[in-house]
Amino acid sequence: MAYTLKAHMPGLVARVVVEPGQNVEKDQELAVINCMKTEMRCLSGEAGRVDKILVAEWDEVDIGSDMIILEN
Amino acid sequence: MIKKILIANRGEIVNRIIRTCEKFGIEAVAVYSDADKDMEYIKNAAESYNIGSAAPIKSYLNIGAITEAIAKSGAEAVHPGYGFLSESAEFAAVVEGMGVKWIGPGSQVMKSIESKSYCRIAADAVGVPVTPGTVGIVSNVDDIYRIAHKVGLPVLLKLDKGGGGKGIEKIESLESREAVQDVFDRLKRIGAMAFASSDVYLEKQIASPKHIEVQFVADARGDVICLGERECSIQRRYQKIVEESPSAAVNEEDRLKLYDYTKRIVKAIAYTGVGTIEFLKGESGYFFMEINARLQVEHPVSEMVTGLDLVEWQIRIADGENLSFTQEDVRLGGHAIECRVYAEEPVTFTPSPGVITKLVFPEENDGALRIEHALHTGYVVTPFYDPMLCKLIALHNNREACIGVMKAALEDMKIEGVSTNIDVGLAVMEDKRFISGGFSTDFFAG
Repeated sequence: MAYTLKAHMPGLVARVVVEPGQNVEKDQELAVINCMKTEMRCLSGEAGRVDKILVAEWDEVDIGSDMIILEN
Repeated sequence: MIKKILIANRGEIVNRIIRTCEKFGIEAVAVYSDADKDMEYIKNAAESYNIGSAAPIKSYLNIGAITEAIAKSGAEAVHPGYGFLSESAEFAAVVEGMGVKWIGPGSQVMKSIESKSYCRIAADAVGVPVTPGTVGIVSNVDDIYRIAHKVGLPVLLKLDKGGGGKGIEKIESLESREAVQDVFDRLKRIGAMAFASSDVYLEKQIASPKHIEVQFVADARGDVICLGERECSIQRRYQKIVEESPSAAVNEEDRLKLYDYTKRIVKAIAYTGVGTIEFLKGESGYFFMEINARLQVEHPVSEMVTGLDLVEWQIRIADGENLSFTQEDVRLGGHAIECRVYAEEPVTFTPSPGVITKLVFPEENDGALRIEHALHTGYVVTPFYDPMLCKLIALHNNREACIGVMKAALEDMKIEGVSTNIDVGLAVMEDKRFISGGFSTDFFAG
């Protein structure tokens, strides 16, 4: 199974705080989006292991953009 | 006079600067990111240049791309607006190095005042009160304990090069040495990452302060003229929402004292051009807080009560002119209030990007109301920049009448498609604390 973290706000990726292969819990912060100079935390909807990181710092994201894929 | 100015900014301030340029027959050059390619001022400017993609670091903070536009356009001067690179000594030095005039204080002065502790030391040296704490840098937790014991809790740890409400941590208890060490380490880390400096200084938190700032203009001869004060205590998350001039809490004696403090500091640091000194007013008086080396968002309230065009004076001083009027010539007339309209949820203050589907502005009748914006129906409020959409500035004979003008203006203003804080502005105008004038920066906390 896989879980994909999607952007909940449009904006710029301020930072990704996890690394590939890392195990994460549900509700753990995976990345931060900067929307209009306000930082919004992106929390994981599920537990799992980080498989792919699809975004980099300063990438533009829209609501629903795929950001990080977890294996679980 | 300068013939061609490049405006290194976006949004309402571009229109504001173009207006003064038109008055003096100066050609204005606009720059824009991919996200701003439909801005209407691109048509009003004599020339315009795309400087990169939406992310500020790739466009409005991209010194290389802006430098290229300066060279291509042949602009004789650069107006940096506010925010973005407006207080970057590095950018100012690059512009000066191209033989282009920087509309602001010189890069040397800017480099010095990037350090808040330099400014605190300068103010202290000329006898202006600074908030109790360290004038210099704190080197370890022992320093924090020693000074906090001396000045009393709570204290604020601040990044020497922080800004925009970022880089401030409050310490309310000294019980856990580990907790204090954690806060200190965290702040140093943020500083190194975001501001390229991990220097920290400490100051005592002033209880329920008022934010009072003095607008000034200074020339190369060393003449400094103060243009009244602005009260900016109505803030949320260290960001201003409502500003006014004069302040209901500043009497003539206080005003003269603030003018004296301002002139002493400005002369000590050899600042030229238009600028602002921010003070905090606590129970025991006024304390120097910081210097803003740029045109401020809230400059229109000072223009309304003095009748001066501050952008004009920025350009004149940058062009080497001296002040042609004296302090005695400055007459403060009437009362002005500014309300900033933000694209945000009114209760939570979270940002609200989207498309403006309906836009109705109040009447700018008989000079009682001024509207500063760069909006149009169909305007896309992108998530990449500051949420400020527009500014309403009201002027009337006295404060009460001015509040009435602002209330009517906010009631007539309609923006649909994105959430705005228009109702927050209205609530402030109707709030007893605001009407009495006895409010502090705690306005939205209590």
